[in-house]
Amino acid sequence: MPDIFEIDLNVSEERLKGISEETGTGLSLDELKVIRDYFVKEGRNPKDIELQALGQAWSEHCCYKSSKYYLKRYLFNFDAPQNLFVIKEDAGLVEFDKDHAYAVALESHNHPSAIEPYGGAATGIGGILRDVVCMGAQPIALVDPIFFAPPTTSSELIPKGVKHPKYIFSGVVDGIRDYGNRVGIPTVSGMTAFHKGYLGNCLVNVGCVGIVKKKDIVYSRVGNVGDIYVLAGGGTGRDGIHGVTFASKELDDDSQVSSRSAVQVGDPIMKEPLIHACLEANEKKLLTGLKDLGGGGLSCVVGEMALAGGYGAKVTLENVHLKEKDLLPWEIWVSESQERMMMSVREKDLNKVLKIFRKWDVPAVVIGKVIQEKRLLIEWHGETIFDMDLEFLTEGPMYKRPFKKVSTRNENVEFGEPEDYNGTLLSLLKDYNCACDDWVVRQYDFEVRARTFSPPLVGMENCETHADASIIKPLEDSERGLALTSDVNPHFMVLDPFWGAASAVDEAVRNLVAVGARPHSFADCLNFGNPEKPEKMWEFVQAVQGLAHVISKIGATFVSGNVSLYNEGPAGACPPTPTIMGIGLIDDVNKSVTTPFKGNGNLIYIIGNTKDELGGSAYLRYRGIAGGIVPRVNPYELSNASFSLIELMGKGMVISCHDISEGGICCTLAEMCIGNEIGAAITLKGKLRPDKELFSESNTRWICEIDPNDRAEFEDGLRAHQVAFTILGATGGDRLRMAKDGKMLVDIEVKSMKEAWQRPLWDIMG
Amino acid sequence: METKDINVCVLRIEGTNNEQEIYDSFKRLGANPSFVHLNEFKSLENFQCLMIPGGFSSGDYIRAGAIFASRIRSRFWDDIKDFVRDGYAIGGICNGFQVLVELGLLPGFSRSIGKVNACLAENDSARFECRHTVLKHVGPNKCVFTRALPENEVLVIPSAHAEGKLLLADDKLYERMEKNGQIVFRYCDRSGRTDCGYPWNPNGSPQNIAGICNEKGNVFGMMPHPERAFYKENANGHSGKVIFESVINYIGERF
Repeated sequence: MPDIFEIDLNVSEERLKGISEETGTGLSLDELKVIRDYFVKEGRNPKDIELQALGQAWSEHCCYKSSKYYLKRYLFNFDAPQNLFVIKEDAGLVEFDKDHAYAVALESHNHPSAIEPYGGAATGIGGILRDVVCMGAQPIALVDPIFFAPPTTSSELIPKGVKHPKYIFSGVVDGIRDYGNRVGIPTVSGMTAFHKGYLGNCLVNVGCVGIVKKKDIVYSRVGNVGDIYVLAGGGTGRDGIHGVTFASKELDDDSQVSSRSAVQVGDPIMKEPLIHACLEANEKKLLTGLKDLGGGGLSCVVGEMALAGGYGAKVTLENVHLKEKDLLPWEIWVSESQERMMMSVREKDLNKVLKIFRKWDVPAVVIGKVIQEKRLLIEWHGETIFDMDLEFLTEGPMYKRPFKKVSTRNENVEFGEPEDYNGTLLSLLKDYNCACDDWVVRQYDFEVRARTFSPPLVGMENCETHADASIIKPLEDSERGLALTSDVNPHFMVLDPFWGAASAVDEAVRNLVAVGARPHSFADCLNFGNPEKPEKMWEFVQAVQGLAHVISKIGATFVSGNVSLYNEGPAGACPPTPTIMGIGLIDDVNKSVTTPFKGNGNLIYIIGNTKDELGGSAYLRYRGIAGGIVPRVNPYELSNASFSLIELMGKGMVISCHDISEGGICCTLAEMCIGNEIGAAITLKGKLRPDKELFSESNTRWICEIDPNDRAEFEDGLRAHQVAFTILGATGGDRLRMAKDGKMLVDIEVKSMKEAWQRPLWDIMG
Repeated sequence: METKDINVCVLRIEGTNNEQEIYDSFKRLGANPSFVHLNEFKSLENFQCLMIPGGFSSGDYIRAGAIFASRIRSRFWDDIKDFVRDGYAIGGICNGFQVLVELGLLPGFSRSIGKVNACLAENDSARFECRHTVLKHVGPNKCVFTRALPENEVLVIPSAHAEGKLLLADDKLYERMEKNGQIVFRYCDRSGRTDCGYPWNPNGSPQNIAGICNEKGNVFGMMPHPERAFYKENANGHSGKVIFESVINYIGERF
């Protein structure tokens, strides 16, 4: 077979579909017709490498063809004064202080992780680190929200071609651990959620935050005509071919075999020095542009960098260093092999750049240069094998896909009151979605770099409880910090994608506020099903509007994100899952607040209103009751309460704080008791039935511990912003006691709660 | 010599990744640290202290610290032996400790420097674990990295490793180390008891050993990370900072 061959597109429609399939490009019939017309004008047929490049550039993954219409319409209309450069590049840039910015990126690596959990999750980290590095930023923290079917799922329920969720969960955590720990960036936050809808469609999202001096910010665009393209890092191989096209369709029972080669192979020990070398070259002002090789490999990065700079490019393809010989030109061009970065360099600086990479033992080769005309030319041993208009190549189609409302069971449901509250509480603490996740968290190095001011587990040694958000102090000589959290509740999403998405933003805000940080920016990773199905498109459009409903009022916007569609497999579609990463700013990390109770005899307050909103709650799931009302969000109340609490925390008035989420007031108090083994006695005063009051998952609520001497000032502070609050009781003793109307509901030792809460994941995962 | 003149070599290769925090720790105390990549290393001549940072040097794909150790050995083994003999200080934290053991510098009995007679084996839990550990200073202040910390003081220092169980070639060597005062830190619980088991001892290290020094006291290795607890003051007023203060204080007095 020759290295290069022509593909005749002047054929029947049937044949065109065949071409899409045989080349693995995933192009639709309509798209192929547009391509045919382009080449008719050029007076020739495309070469295979050209069609492959179009398949990459026009994939859902690369050009957001199904989502960008709705994102632009609903989500990208908001701005915030702290935003410096957002949405447009691989990471968003937000002001940290006068001289520094932070970079935010969030992505999915779902399909690869479903096929090969270890490699898929590991290379997800690799990719997100590069997204941050290519802005010139030093990565400072990783965030890993992951979603699986319950690890207890019976083997009989696993369809052909699907791996057991326990195996996938374990492999994903191993992959994150072995890559993240080796590369030396702390994994400080994340969430682990379980829902049966993730069977066959696990979601592995990964976020990264970096810090950069404003003067060192570099963009993913070439500088000038004559600049040299330098490709640095690992060799190019056959791993990761057609990664983006495979990520832009549903998985089937054969994907495990047929798509194995779409998953890349990670090498953190190439990545670690690659990061150092890129940042060193950038700080010395030797780079005019820097971009990572992710989805689509060279085929995306070369063209996008050239076009963003207003130019074109000419590439000498045989210069690319390879992992194995005999790769075909199109394979080299679209391979997504890991650990590679592309730089554009002025000719006079070339040797200085190559020298830096030699010091770090990182290969770096010249593969092309910037030309005036906005075209992309590729030579292969002297022959021109690629010659296309860049705008046509990278623009991609945009669709306004139709959607259709799905009927959901989002109305009030009737059920009886439980008799055994102690037992109910213990069962909820054992629910995998509520239980301690330290089986996961402790496998990650969350303190490497020594900038983790407040870790994901807080409290006494070997007694720690969940933190709401981790805090990183990025700079040596500044006490300013960044708080990080990631949130979404798939159980809400399934019932109501609008309010579920709104709740995800509310929870992210709550978590940031709970540690004393003001919400400063957000990233979203929108994981949904097949957009060609109107019902799945409806979920997407609803969720985007739900996000907009809250984000429009809180003074911080989405600065970066990613859309992952086609999360469907032999067992159906995944729950609609808009993962939200929240980044908060705290001026003085020493004033931050943590979850566990700190002393005896302090007052316990609940901030916010508890409503009859139990749809999707851990309690109703435990009771086996479907439906119910998913919690609503009033963004004005959220904004007021947040502002008020942050102000009071700044005055040092809040001793501990925890947001109320899964398991309601009851589980929140339990987690606060566990961290320092301090009990509490509370009396419920609301109008709801006791179980509803205890287990409702209404949004915009927190529990706070306050010194009795600060009572008046604390309450005045809340009243000044019209924030609802109630005193529940006081801390102390070694039991958690909860009563209502003179009846004791819960009375249980902190140690028993701890035992129930801490064991579940260890017991099932080993 | 004056603190500002104390030159600390923070050695790095691909996969070392705790070098910045070690650098920062010395810098905060007024010493003069510098990063040296092994590829650019010339000699130890102008340094008084060599630090091997934590991380996953060369990926640790063979055995923790083994690749880095053999690359050091082939580059400047003689230089290192002279450095130790002359009383200069070498410290290894986490992966750095593993490297020093793989080099035969620890336990470092004076008659057998360079002989590898120990290893840091996989944790009993067979996994990487990140948790805050409590350490008791059990040494008789022989080690130059802990001389500012009184005996029996307890410190909370974070641990994060998969291979931290110190195994010696011969059980008698534990006694010999004990007799020589080479055991510096043991894992303990919050009350300072060292017979507390997992998870207080996160890796199953025999006799709860967390950190040791050579017979002479100038080569020191520990699994937990004092550079991550530089500012985290315990009730006794000490923090991870004391490790760096101690060695600066030693070098200042001695040279």
